[in-house]
Amino acid sequence: MPQVEIDKRTVKVPEGTTILEAARSAGIQIPTLCYLEDIQAIGACRVCLVEVAGAKNLVASCVTPVSDGMKISTKSRRVRTARRTIVELLLSDHEGDCQTCDRNGSCELQSIAKELGIREIHHTGEKHTGVTDSTTPALVRDTGKCVLCRRCVSMCNEVQGVGALFPQDRGFETVVGPAFSSSLESVVCVQCGQCSAACPVGAIGEKNQVQEVWDALDDPDKFVIVQTAPAIRAALGECFGFAPGTLVTGKMVRALRLIGFDRVFDTNFTADLTIMEEGTELLVRLKKALVEKEDVALPQFTSCCPGWIKYAEHFYPELLPNLSTCKSPQQMFGALAKTYLAKKVGKKPEEIVVVSVMPCTAKKFENARPEMNDSSVKDVDIVLTTRELGMLIGETGIDFTSLPDDTMDDPMGKTSSGAADIFANTGGVMEAALRTVYEIVTGSPLPFSGLHVKPIAGLEGVKEASVKIEKTVPEWDFLRGVTLKVAVSHGLGNAKRIIRRIQSGEADYHFIEVMACPGGCIGGGGQPRLTTNAVRKKRIEAIYKEDEGKTLRKSHENPEVTQIYEEFLGSPLGERSHHLLHTSYEARARI
Amino acid sequence: MASGALEVSVSLKKAVDRFGLTNDVSVVETGCLGPCAVGPVALVYPDGILYENLKPEYSEEIVEEHLLKGRIVERIVHRAKPGEDKIREITQSDFFKKQVKIVLRNCGLIDPVRIEEYIAQDGYGALAKVLTEMTPEEVVDVVKRSGLRGRGGAGFPTGLKWEFCRRADGEPKYVLCNADEGDPGAFMDRSILEGDPHSVIEAMAIAAYAIGARNGYIYVRAEYPLAVKRLSGALEQAREYGLLGRGVLGTAFDFDLEIRMGSGAFVCGEETALMTSIEGNRGEPRPRPPFPANKGLWNKPSLLNNVETYANIPIIILKGSEWYASFGTEKSRGTKVFALAGAVENTGLVEVPIGTPLGEIVYDIGGGVKNKKPFKAAQIGGPSGGCIPKQYLNTPVDYESLAELGAIMGSGGMIIMDDDTCMVDIARFFLEFVQEESCGKCSPCRIGTRRMLEILTRICEGKGEEGDIEKLIELGNTIKDTSLCGLGQTAPNPVLSAIRHFRDEFIAHIRDKRCPAGVCPEIVRAPCQNNCPAGVDIPGYVSLIGEKRYDDALRLHRERNPFAAVCSRVCFHRCEDKCRRQTIDEPVSIRVLKRFMADQEKKIRLPEIRGNEENRRRKVAVIGAGPAGLSCAYFLARLGYRPDVFEAMTEPGGMLVQAIPAYRLPRDILRREIGMIRDMGVHIETGVRLGEDFTLEKLKSIEYEAVFVGIGAPDGIGMSLGGLSNPRCVQAISFLREYNLKGSVPVGKKVCVVGGGNAAIDAARTALRLGADSVRVLYRRTRSQMPAYAEEVAEAQKEGVLFSYLVSPYEIVSSNGGIDGIRCQCMELGEFDKSGRKRPVQNGTEYSMEADQLILAIGQALDTEGLLGGTDIRTGSRNFIEVDPITGQTSVEWIFAGGDAVNGPSSVADAVAGGERGAAGIDLFLTGEDHSFWREEKEVDTCFDPDEDPVEYGRSKLKSLSLIMRKGNFSEVELPWKEPVALKEAKRCLRCEYREREE
Repeated sequence: MPQVEIDKRTVKVPEGTTILEAARSAGIQIPTLCYLEDIQAIGACRVCLVEVAGAKNLVASCVTPVSDGMKISTKSRRVRTARRTIVELLLSDHEGDCQTCDRNGSCELQSIAKELGIREIHHTGEKHTGVTDSTTPALVRDTGKCVLCRRCVSMCNEVQGVGALFPQDRGFETVVGPAFSSSLESVVCVQCGQCSAACPVGAIGEKNQVQEVWDALDDPDKFVIVQTAPAIRAALGECFGFAPGTLVTGKMVRALRLIGFDRVFDTNFTADLTIMEEGTELLVRLKKALVEKEDVALPQFTSCCPGWIKYAEHFYPELLPNLSTCKSPQQMFGALAKTYLAKKVGKKPEEIVVVSVMPCTAKKFENARPEMNDSSVKDVDIVLTTRELGMLIGETGIDFTSLPDDTMDDPMGKTSSGAADIFANTGGVMEAALRTVYEIVTGSPLPFSGLHVKPIAGLEGVKEASVKIEKTVPEWDFLRGVTLKVAVSHGLGNAKRIIRRIQSGEADYHFIEVMACPGGCIGGGGQPRLTTNAVRKKRIEAIYKEDEGKTLRKSHENPEVTQIYEEFLGSPLGERSHHLLHTSYEARARI
Repeated sequence: MASGALEVSVSLKKAVDRFGLTNDVSVVETGCLGPCAVGPVALVYPDGILYENLKPEYSEEIVEEHLLKGRIVERIVHRAKPGEDKIREITQSDFFKKQVKIVLRNCGLIDPVRIEEYIAQDGYGALAKVLTEMTPEEVVDVVKRSGLRGRGGAGFPTGLKWEFCRRADGEPKYVLCNADEGDPGAFMDRSILEGDPHSVIEAMAIAAYAIGARNGYIYVRAEYPLAVKRLSGALEQAREYGLLGRGVLGTAFDFDLEIRMGSGAFVCGEETALMTSIEGNRGEPRPRPPFPANKGLWNKPSLLNNVETYANIPIIILKGSEWYASFGTEKSRGTKVFALAGAVENTGLVEVPIGTPLGEIVYDIGGGVKNKKPFKAAQIGGPSGGCIPKQYLNTPVDYESLAELGAIMGSGGMIIMDDDTCMVDIARFFLEFVQEESCGKCSPCRIGTRRMLEILTRICEGKGEEGDIEKLIELGNTIKDTSLCGLGQTAPNPVLSAIRHFRDEFIAHIRDKRCPAGVCPEIVRAPCQNNCPAGVDIPGYVSLIGEKRYDDALRLHRERNPFAAVCSRVCFHRCEDKCRRQTIDEPVSIRVLKRFMADQEKKIRLPEIRGNEENRRRKVAVIGAGPAGLSCAYFLARLGYRPDVFEAMTEPGGMLVQAIPAYRLPRDILRREIGMIRDMGVHIETGVRLGEDFTLEKLKSIEYEAVFVGIGAPDGIGMSLGGLSNPRCVQAISFLREYNLKGSVPVGKKVCVVGGGNAAIDAARTALRLGADSVRVLYRRTRSQMPAYAEEVAEAQKEGVLFSYLVSPYEIVSSNGGIDGIRCQCMELGEFDKSGRKRPVQNGTEYSMEADQLILAIGQALDTEGLLGGTDIRTGSRNFIEVDPITGQTSVEWIFAGGDAVNGPSSVADAVAGGERGAAGIDLFLTGEDHSFWREEKEVDTCFDPDEDPVEYGRSKLKSLSLIMRKGNFSEVELPWKEPVALKEAKRCLRCEYREREE
């Protein structure tokens, strides 16, 4: 094990450790900008330079492995001067309208400049011409603020396998963007927003819709309701200084009420509903396949993730029949809010404004899809990301940290199951589905400790599990003896891996959960920055805690779900369900 | 191809056909022979005659005369030196004689598209040898012991690289060739690929055997279509011959190669970027470690060398490492190919042993600087390199010496620059190149080089600021220290090296807003004006002469220089050196035009004076009534001052009256212009000497508020010479002064003048006129190194002055107080000295000559101690006074200085400029404001049509007095032009100052 000296302290680290990792392990902080833990170490920004005794030049600590006996200085005068010059250079080419920037106060470049004590930019000059691209409903890119750290490029290409963003042109003219300077809207971008979550500055963010929410709230003729996705509660706290993984469900509800929403609902409600519809759909497909020997599209893929849907539409149009026809919980909620709820509260659909709070930027694309108006008007009106909700709350001056807890409203989320909560993380939809499907088929609960399907939990990129159905209720006896094979992936690059295995015949699953974002929705593109694996783990832990704290753990046990089927929908996959809760997909160009 | 070689080849073949020689003569298209400047060339064997500057229409003549009749077509034969007449065999030509062709051994000799020819030159013999007789370890060992270093630029030991790769774990391994030659001006790799592609293929196969690889790639830029074509053809032939593919030469060794074409990004010459590009990604470097030897192409161990490096390998294997190591220096073995370009007579590819002195490459192989201009610097190593100034011409060109001077070997681009090159502009050019070629990945290179470029551009545009140089150095060093790859780590080199060696040029741009080389368009109105120390609006007055507006022309001239008539006779006209007309034929005869203009003046007119009462009352003193002092007084008077001029001699004029003989400057002309200055209210008092009759402190005590010191450099310099104290041995300056002021001076019969400057020539011609039987000038260097003004030397020779070059007197032979003769040592030219000239050194022989008078014209000095007395003014080199270059202010705030007292002996125009600066400086000091209204650019309202073609006729000739008429008198030698001649000459001006008027 190499032993090195960092700032005169002896550190022992395993072979292959970088200087940066070694320093951090010793509690020595080195500023970084382009480095993205677990994702990208390319030594591009040169902010993390250190001095290695005997080396001709300063070296980038994020990419330089330690070697035995290395003497490293992270704060020598040479290092400080160089670092400062580099950051000054970056600032000199940066559209520095900090006061009006989305990232004011949460900008990594700002923090580094502060940390290095930069008070003056000595090397000023021309700035590269910035172009703002707001062609997509979800994301806004401002190349004038881009510092070319390429974190977004790695997210888009390496992690997501989408390939919508590349460095183009050379030298000072280098820009990151879609090929041939196209607009984001015209390329394969799935609008997952991982780029925006990784961006250290204000160069990529969600299309901010906070003002639209204020406009709705200020309109006396509008009945403004809000739904919050399961992943919000485990992350929103980070906007207010809580540690990652702090559950703030009650405070969040309280804040939303204080802001002035007429009703505060929970997307958990339609998550439970999704399980009813999607689970039934799976069983129907299995029945068709096994009993009626029909040529039916299997495996079935989950469909709650709009990033994944768009990805499939671009890259795997041949798999569109395999996607569950279920709308996502967000869209089910919108359709029902303007029909079922409208009736209950005596409002016309057009009087209701449905605001969603999602961990996701692609949801802004999803609600804008032209087919999402089954309620006769646009089903979901405005989608805010977690970060935007943080801003909205911030604008009210509410002291979030000291808010008392509150609870969601009837009849869409006052009660919801733990199964709905775990929609937030990778493996969660699958686990929720299994809890219900297994019980429907066998009449007994899922035989996993704490109802958790361990093999598909956690941050492994591709996970699989199988459950053998030993005995069944009479209706589903054709499934007796069948081993239900499921797989879960998160991060679209992993989806590609699973699909390749299926298409090559290496794997034969029945049901596959795909989430576009690493870690699932808790790691969504709209979540507070910066989402590292450590943060993902904390948020996942919190979600499981929420699940385990519920008396209701299974979707089919949710009384509000039972109620809506009885009062309004009839049965899963029934006619009204079909109309309001299901959708179709379109193949998209792969450019 | 670019100069039409293909057409020549076609026509030669046709001609051979027509004369029925098809079976006897073969026309072969070969690779490059090197001498680009005279291309296309053809080498005719067996005679070895090199024909140059070929055109298709010469083909018949060559075939008929040379091939058929055996008569050499002398007209187009390559010459040893430009202008020289002798026909030489190629190996005797200076261009080829000092070269050692190892890498280029086959280029130009074999037909590159025929593998048989390569094989006939022992081609693939090295591969056969390693496969059958050597272990891979032995191969690596031979390469190591040869001392070969990477020719791509950094000079990493090649054998070591091979060893690292051989020892690296991982399979498969790759052998790669960097043929992405990207340095502007470097084309040796291209030449090798085009002229001898098999040498690279063979070397790569040898390398593959040595490191254990089975596959290789040649990464070549797509802009080299012929190289790609020849390489592809060569690969096919090698495969056909079993030299590539499975079981090479019947052994168990498998190896094959592929060509990968790059689209010409400079950064792809960086090894990791090259590999990234081969992998199909955007060509960008990646951090090292891991090094390519361990994790290269597709993360596998890879060996990357450049074309030139590989081209050395086969011959090293064949002839052995000791043979190779016998070339070059201790640390840098072998040869290096340079692409010689720029202001040098013989441009082209040259191959020399490493360690050959720079001067030898420039002068012996390169034939010296074009048009005999002085050598300024050599830019070596392209955009990653730096410049080597003239004082380092003896530097051996090797990796270490170049690095020490801030340049690098690089891929071998060598651009020779003369005085017409602006070093700031060159630095800007190279930086612009790298700035555009930066891949944009790492921030210091991406943004930092842009910031440096912005500063440099600003400086070139005359918008430089104090601190810019420091900023460039600081940024440059940071970029070097922090960039990700070699491109960024070397990108600032051209700038840093230019600052290191030419800081003054940067300062001139920043402080004076002046481009000394006359290049930067934003601050150079016209190159002639730019090169005039006094900044006279030359195109302005020349165009006014052209319209017969002589008064306007004179007035414009005297805006910046009162001595129009004087300068029209004595100025060295540096303006003409930079005249762009010479790119068409010859420079405009500016001085003679000025003479014509001055001659037209009927009644002298005073210039514009903007006076005021306050200035009129202020007391300002000027010491010395030479051109500096009088100019200072002139410009002070234009601001309304009434300065008092104190002159030590009996007559005002300084060197103009004391040293310059009347045959060059008639005294009435001088007195007339001094009279003009007097008429402006300047009071001149003669016969009062600083240090004797008054002191500076005394002036202050009688309420002089400011003093300009223009006391010149009136003393001669001695030399170490036995018998120097002999009364018949005099200083040129004293000799001239005595004659010019008193009207007579003792002159010998056999006079020797020692020195090579203008004073020597003036003394010699004066002595001749005063009755000497013979006058001989002894100069220790050669004629071409003589600082005296060439026209004067020519006139002196015409008049009968004798010249001996490369001699240095060391002893005066005397008897009875007189001189009998002088003993001289003979000199020869040795190494280059700091001035970039070859230093004269004694060659051991000596001789004596008869003489009865010796005049020393070695140089002039100023005795500041004696003159300035108690006033403590800071002096600088050789005891001349130090001043602020913009205001002329000395270290004592109320004392200003200019002219020879500051510069050392220099031109009248320099003195005028010094006086003008001093006047503006004094005014600024006294009033706190700048009132130098004459510096504002005047709009010239003469007609000019920029679209019209320049007039076609050449420079008008100078007319001078016949030799008989000159004898024994001091009549003016130069005769005036007639009006039509002058008008015609004026129209030759290209009006470089003309700018489209912005509406």
